[in-house]
Amino acid sequence: MSHFGTLGDPRTVARDLGRMLQALSGLMLVSVAIPLVWMELWAVPAMLVSAAVPLALGTLLARRYRDAKNPDRFHGMVVAASGWFVVAVFGSLPFLLVAWTIRLDPMMLDAPTLTGRAASTVAAFEHPLNALFESMSGFTGTGLTMTDDEAALPRTLQWWRSFIEWVGGVGVIVLTTAILSRPGSGSLTLYESEARSEKIHPSIVSTVRTIWWIFLLFTFGSVLLLWLVGMPLWDAINHGMTGLATGGFSITDNSIATYDSALIDYALLPIMTLGSIAFPIHYLVLRGDLSHLYEDLQTRWVFLSFTVGTAVLVGLLVVNGTYDSVEAAVRYGAFQFVSAMSCTGFQTAGGLGTDWTAEAQLTVSLGMVLGAAAGSTVGGIKLVRALTLSKGILFRIAGVFYPADAVRYFRLNGRALSEEEAAREFEEAAIVAFLWFLFLGVGTLTLLLALPDDYTLANVVFEVASAQGNVGLSSGITGPGMPDLTKVMFLFNMWIGRLEIIPVLVLLRGLLYGGLGR
Amino acid sequence: MTPDDIPVLGALRRVGPDDRVFDLLLLTGPLVVACIALLGRGPVTGGLAVVYLLVLVGRVAYNATAA
Repeated sequence: MSHFGTLGDPRTVARDLGRMLQALSGLMLVSVAIPLVWMELWAVPAMLVSAAVPLALGTLLARRYRDAKNPDRFHGMVVAASGWFVVAVFGSLPFLLVAWTIRLDPMMLDAPTLTGRAASTVAAFEHPLNALFESMSGFTGTGLTMTDDEAALPRTLQWWRSFIEWVGGVGVIVLTTAILSRPGSGSLTLYESEARSEKIHPSIVSTVRTIWWIFLLFTFGSVLLLWLVGMPLWDAINHGMTGLATGGFSITDNSIATYDSALIDYALLPIMTLGSIAFPIHYLVLRGDLSHLYEDLQTRWVFLSFTVGTAVLVGLLVVNGTYDSVEAAVRYGAFQFVSAMSCTGFQTAGGLGTDWTAEAQLTVSLGMVLGAAAGSTVGGIKLVRALTLSKGILFRIAGVFYPADAVRYFRLNGRALSEEEAAREFEEAAIVAFLWFLFLGVGTLTLLLALPDDYTLANVVFEVASAQGNVGLSSGITGPGMPDLTKVMFLFNMWIGRLEIIPVLVLLRGLLYGGLGR
Repeated sequence: MTPDDIPVLGALRRVGPDDRVFDLLLLTGPLVVACIALLGRGPVTGGLAVVYLLVLVGRVAYNATAA
């Protein structure tokens, strides 16, 4: 029987989805503190209703199917894929209900009367598709937005956007470190290095707790660092959370460029870099073992890629005379490359889509397609896959020169893999990379068909790569006015990009052919 | 009674990288942020933030040399 025929009991999926909805409800209830603190009392009912819906449905599912079997590996994929989608759907409720509260003020709670850009920014969320887009963008850590002026959003929604990116960031570390880690996924290779144990702890539950622990500590550090270099506290809290989660949502109209501060730009570099390194490495570093910062293949390549990519980009900016001084080229080049490759999507260079040359834009695009380390918060194809593919190709070519019965080992991250193990790693990396580019093509074609002729092919490829790589940099296409078809396409791109495609295809295959019920 | 018997502290100690300084930083992080929110930007709050970050970075360096 094929693996696809053993997806098992849908009651297991339903129970786990119910638990996820209960957790989502908890996030919403915690977030009620924000409108209370900021005296946006009119938003409290919207947040409470938003929390009540997933709580009721989640409790129903979790109780009804509490005796369902424990999930196996394929259930893990199905739960991850369907869970991310369902959470994004219900996570859109605060956007929708707050926007409609401002429009109707049904409980006479003195909701604010907005005018101008503030009114149109909030009104965009009256449309469920826009609210879903924002929620999916947040939970996947993408950062593309339906808002016109983030600074005009109520604090409640500013927080909800930052909070879901932060939680989504932890979610994806947990996903790749503890749940989807399997032979051939790259992740397992990463943690099976001979130098250390497979995961942070043997148990998934304790691994997840430790990831939260590290993430919380780094969040406080990030917030305080940003505040020290001049960001207002509320801004520092939001950008510290979304920067560490490499999500990229901002609470200002012009992202980080709003502050026009070199200190803030440079302070965000280490924060985005922290989010780009696999969290098991952070655990080892905190315990005093700094050697993994250069001994670990991916981490070494994170630093190497950031340095080389920045050098190339700065060189291009200097040669092309994009900025008046070398200092400006270094400042904007370093920030934009790290922001792109870490898949954060913060923007400091105002002319990224217009003033920068095609070569500079291509360098940024390469960074965001590649992404950084698996097991971190980043998107993209991931360094470990790119390295596996590169080394695998050389291994295959070199194999021609050996006798057929020669015993050869493929060395990756300090491990000596047999030919069979190497083939599995290589195959997984090749499949994910192929699917990544396939869906990049599908997205590009869809946008070219649906968008007006104002955008170039380069603009469209950049935007789709940004969505699928969960980056969030924009060439100006994304906004509430884009056609619904392109919004749906981007929802799909963001979703599959976050889950590294295969779990979504497994879910869709199961739904289409009934594998879930067998 | 040991620190592990205190509900929140015990859970944090068991989950983290087994280092009391990091445990302390995690517990005091929200308090420092709350102080800044209440008192605003000033020498005291600035000093608190600097000390917090120095202890965080310093402890990593100390652990590295002690390992």
